[in-house]
This record gives sequence, structure tokens and C-alpha cells, in this order.
Amino acid sequence: MTLLEIDSVTKKFGGLVAVDDVSFTVDRGEIVGLIGPNGSGKSTMFNCIMSEYDVTGGTIRFGGEDITDYRTHQVVNNGLSRVSQESNPIDALPVGGNIKLFTLPNSVVSLRGGASEEEIYQYAARVGLESELQELPDELPHADVRRLEVAKALATEPELLLLDEPFAGMNQQEIRELAATFEEFREDGITMVIVDHNMGGLMDLVDRAVVLDNGDKLMEGPPKEVTTDERVRKAYLGGTEVP
Amino acid sequence: MSSETDRSTGSTRVLGDTWRSVDDGLRSVGNRINPVFQPLADGYNRLFGAYFGEMNGLQFLLIFGSLLGLLTAPFWGTFSLIQTMTIACIWAVFAMSWDIQSGYTGYISFGHSVLSGVAAYATAMLVYNVDPEMSMAITIPLSILAALAVGMLIALPTLRLSGPYFSLITFVAVLIFYRMIRPFSEYTGGETGIQTVSVFTYDPLVRYYYMLIPMLVVAVALTFVARSNIGLVLMAIRENESAVNAAGLDATKFKLWSFVLSSIPMGIGGVLLVHYYGSVDPTTFVVVDNSIEMIAMAVLGGMSSILGPLGGAFLFVMLEDFLLEGLPASARWTILWTIILLVLVFARDGLFRKLWHALERYGRRGETR
Repeated sequence: MTLLEIDSVTKKFGGLVAVDDVSFTVDRGEIVGLIGPNGSGKSTMFNCIMSEYDVTGGTIRFGGEDITDYRTHQVVNNGLSRVSQESNPIDALPVGGNIKLFTLPNSVVSLRGGASEEEIYQYAARVGLESELQELPDELPHADVRRLEVAKALATEPELLLLDEPFAGMNQQEIRELAATFEEFREDGITMVIVDHNMGGLMDLVDRAVVLDNGDKLMEGPPKEVTTDERVRKAYLGGTEVP
Repeated sequence: MSSETDRSTGSTRVLGDTWRSVDDGLRSVGNRINPVFQPLADGYNRLFGAYFGEMNGLQFLLIFGSLLGLLTAPFWGTFSLIQTMTIACIWAVFAMSWDIQSGYTGYISFGHSVLSGVAAYATAMLVYNVDPEMSMAITIPLSILAALAVGMLIALPTLRLSGPYFSLITFVAVLIFYRMIRPFSEYTGGETGIQTVSVFTYDPLVRYYYMLIPMLVVAVALTFVARSNIGLVLMAIRENESAVNAAGLDATKFKLWSFVLSSIPMGIGGVLLVHYYGSVDPTTFVVVDNSIEMIAMAVLGGMSSILGPLGGAFLFVMLEDFLLEGLPASARWTILWTIILLVLVFARDGLFRKLWHALERYGRRGETR
């Protein structure tokens, strides 16, 4: 059953076509990889889905609902959440406070809503941050700051998580742990789209991959098909080896 | 050259040693006083801690000591001190109102005197143009509504702007309002203003309470809001607006709300001011200097803390009208603005926030070097 439907989405910046008439769908419960070399339009696509950018053309549907013209907070409250490539925690708040912000109701008269201490602990525990709840973000190592970003996205109770380069800057051990965390999310019923320009580790995790190149959709298919495809090889490194 | 360096490091060392002994002295005093008030603070924390934040014995002493001082001032203060404190109460309302919007969200308004000015002018113009006998029960709510309406008029089109544009537009709003007073002098009284507004009372001691009580109500209400989720979201807007949207929160809506939370007490302050003077005129009520002074008070005490700007307003008005009273105006203002400058450079978080954290530190037990 289709959860997210990208229907002929185009995004132009002046004369530059960053995403050109791209269509793909994501089914409930899937993990889809959105891959392609740097500058192929992956992050632009995420920004369009999250309404950080207005699309130039096309439609985005989520759970059958047209969300193309929604504003960012409406997209989030509809069940979509994104982990950005850049970490942007609020440095004045500890880890727990950063997570709490993402659980607050969108109401100017709700003075005491939001997650309880116990619920915040649970969100942190799902990414292994439960012992750093009192720490300030700038005291955390890089991998923990990335984990905090995931915990924040999780705290909005998404049906679909968009993960933008979640493994960037992590070592092999940290990548394995985070990949295992994503597997757990899948078991909890969260659908995921993961962007990465590095295909290596991602291919073990995803059910299907969509390949973008220069704003166009190059192909989509199961990991094995994608990694052996000649066009994909060409897009990366001009042909020889898939990194 | 080298001897100079020696001398300077030597004096630095002496300074450091002096500071250390002062610090230790304060700590031992703090450690002695704190336990005395800790039980009271604990009781307070149990009842109100969740709503207003927790405090230790020393902080409890500061807050409730100040409160007691304010409430009893007419019984121990001199006449001119009470005069000064009466005015300080009104400015404290302005500084706190400015803080909940600008201090918290980081969208710095240079035009808040428009809001108090509109409220004051609304009261005066109703009395002057409509009915000289109009009751305060009508003029006060209408004037506060007028401040709210103008607040929305400024906020709706501007809060989508970021960077310096928001600040510039609020600044221009004051200039426009100021310049509009003269062309409409038939209704506004022009440069000389309107002198027929009634005062609350002619008894200066009673008048003090007329200003103090609303000020305390505003302080409690804004502190309550600032320590709630609303304050958290407004602060998050200042730190990282896109993260707020990503959290599923409509940042624009919250920014508008901060203007509502700010405009209403600004209106209350404007009404207090007009009934304090019994008159209104552009130089006392609207000029852009007023807006800048509100900011200075908030900075002096510590932005985004509500009670900091309250303290800052008292300090500012005390310095201006009481402590430096003997000096000529130009010297007084030069000293005052130099103090603001020094606080901006050396204590950007504000004096009262510094004091608050110091009390927390000195109250802590068994911390020795």
C-alpha cells in the first residue's frame, strides 16, 4: 500500500533544474534508498517533500492526501519527519529539552503539554542516548549529536522518516549500530527513505533503491539490480566501480 | 618592557588573589544564610516550582525580600524614592512586555513605544474628543485593545521577515506614529498634547500602589508564561527557527502570539502612564528614545528572563531619577548609557542573571577550592 507518492515533481532554481519530473512511490513498511552522486537532487527532493522549498511542478501525496502546498509544520503533523544532513540542536537546551520541544503540541494556549520525562527517556533510549539526557548538545561527540537528531524526529511520532545522510561522519562501528537502530524502527512500523551518496552499507539495509542523477530519475529497483546496473556505474565514477 | 610585563602580571595576580578571597568570603556567607531560607524555598518549590522554576534559599531571599521591600516602601522610603519607584513600576511593565516578545524570540523590536503610546493616546483622545466624563471602566479596556490592534497591525505583515527588516519596520512605525500626531492635532492636541486626563489619585503613596500592583500582576503572569511551553517555543525560535517548524510547531503563529502577549501589557503600561501624568504628549509618550530605553532596561537586567528586565527597569530609573539626580541631564544620560555599554560588552547576559547564578553558586554546599 502506497504511503508516499512523488508524482512528476520538478524543482527549478532560476534556470537550474535541480529535480526534473521525478516520480516514485514508497510503500508502507518499506525502507527505500534515495541514492545518487553529490548534486543529483536528493536533498532538494527531501526539501520539497518537507515544504522547505515550494515545488515548481508536480504533486506530493502522503497517505492519499495532497501535501504539496502544506507548510513544514503541517507536513510534520501529518506524520512525516526528516533528519537533516546538518545537525541543528538548540545549544541552550539539554538533550532532554531538545527532544521535548519536538513533542510539544502546536498550540499557543497549551502551557504544560508535551511528552513526560518517561516518554522523553523512551525516545532517547531508542537511539541509545538515555544516559545523556542532561548533557548539552555541544558537549556530545558527533555520533551522539546525530543520534539526537534521530531522536527528535522520532519524537514527532512519524509514520515516515526521511533520513538525509544519517551515516555521514560516523565510523564503521557507529554506522553498524545506527543501521541496527533503523532495523528496529522498521519492526516498530516506521517507513523510511534514506538518502546517501555512498551506496556501500546502505544496500544491505534498503528494500529498494531509487537512483537520481543530475535531477533525473535514472532507475529504481532492488539493491542487487541497482548495484550491477551499467547506467548507475556510469553515473558514479564514470563507469568502473560502484563505491 | 619586561619589567612592565612583570608588573602587569603581578597586579593581575594580586587582583586574582583578592577576587579569590572575596569569592571565598561570599561563599562562606552564602553557605551560612542559604540553610536558613532553604526550608521556605523548599516549600515554595513544592507549591510553585513546576510553574515558575525552583530556587535555593538565597534566591528565595532575593525574590521575596525584594517583594517585601516593594510592598512596604511607603513605610520606610523617602518621598522622592517613592516617586522614583512609582515611575520605575511603569517602566518595568514596558521592559517585561518588550522581553516576552523581543527578548525571547530574538525578533528585536525598536518600536515598542508605539504600543504604549497608542494606549495612552486612546485613553486621552476618548476623553478629549468623545466624552470628558467617560469612565475608566470603558477607556482602559478600549485603550488596551487599541494597543493590541496596533500590535497586530505591525506583527502580521512583518513577522515573516527575518534579519534586520523586522527591527527596521518596528523602528519606522514609531517615527510614523510620532509624525502623525501633529497633522491630526485637532484630535490629538498636537505638540502640547492633551491635558484633561484624570489621574488615579493625588495621594502619592496610594498612587504608588496603583502602579505597583498591576506591575506585579504583569510580572507574575509573564513569568508564568515564560516558564511554560510557550516560553520554550519562543526561545527555540530565537535559537533556531527552522528546528521549530521541523518540530511540527507553527513558528509564525507563535511569533504572532508573542506580540499578543507583549501588546496587552504594553497597553496596560500605557494606560498607567497616562493616568500617572494626567496628560499625554508626543515627547513623553511616543518618541523612539522610549523604545530604546525599554531595550536598555531589558539588557541591563538580562534579556529573556522577565524578572531580569524588571530589575533592569528599577536600576535604570533609580540611576536616572534618584542616584544621579544632582547631575545635569547630559552628564546623567552619558553615565547611564556608558553603563549600558559596559553591560553589553562585559555582562551580555545581564546583571540580574549574573546575580541569580551567583546566588545559586554561593548557596551550594561544600564547594571549596
